[in-house]
Amino acid sequence: MLKKSLFITAVAMLALAAGCANQKGPATKAVGDAEAALAAFKDDAARLLPGDLSGVETTLTGLKDSLAKGDYKAVLAAAPELSTRIAALRDATAAKKAEWEAATAAAKEKWTGFAADLPKMVDAIQSRVDILGKARRLPRNVSKEAFDNAKAGLDWMKSQWAEANDAFNKGDAIDAASKAQAVKDKGNEVLKLLGLAPSA
Amino acid sequence: MATEENPYTQHYFVQKGDTLSKIAREFYGDPMLYPKIFEANRDILKDPDRIKPGQKLRIP
Repeated sequence: MLKKSLFITAVAMLALAAGCANQKGPATKAVGDAEAALAAFKDDAARLLPGDLSGVETTLTGLKDSLAKGDYKAVLAAAPELSTRIAALRDATAAKKAEWEAATAAAKEKWTGFAADLPKMVDAIQSRVDILGKARRLPRNVSKEAFDNAKAGLDWMKSQWAEANDAFNKGDAIDAASKAQAVKDKGNEVLKLLGLAPSA
Repeated sequence: MATEENPYTQHYFVQKGDTLSKIAREFYGDPMLYPKIFEANRDILKDPDRIKPGQKLRIP
């Protein structure tokens, strides 16, 4: 009776081991496939959709842990959903990248205009500020408060314009154009403060 | 040497009876700063005391 029982237990263990061995290959492949699929667009996802990428990576790490522990069943159970999430992230990243590329192209075009225009705006304001700084009194249409605000505005413009150039030189045309637009807006305010008509 | 035109530079058309000092007082609040206007318009002004109605002056 004891021999029979031991025999049954041994057979059961062998069957279980064989089952695990059968699942190890597919589980290993599932994790490998997931890693490869993610690696194909991971850099773009990290830049464009970092939060979504983080969630997928957490799940992948969990699967790798299960694989390392030999829990192939858990790996195979979770792999299809992970595969679906990776595919969705891949599509979302591609859409976001296309959107980003279009925005960058538009920003570069705007930048060309800003690069030609804003240094002239800054020069004109600087010239007037320098001259008014030497005046014994200010013109009737410029109060001392307005002049002080204009000087502060000019300082901000020069600083922001330098930052915009840095951003553009680092390849971030969208940020550069955004900063340049802020310089332009501030410049129009300063022109009004100094009694100069803003450009059309 | 011709001054490169800056679209943000203010301009003023000389009126009858104007002088550079009067224009400087109007735009800068100080007539003594008239040389700034003269220097900015050296391409069309030879003498700061000789400006003509209708001339378009740069006001830097």
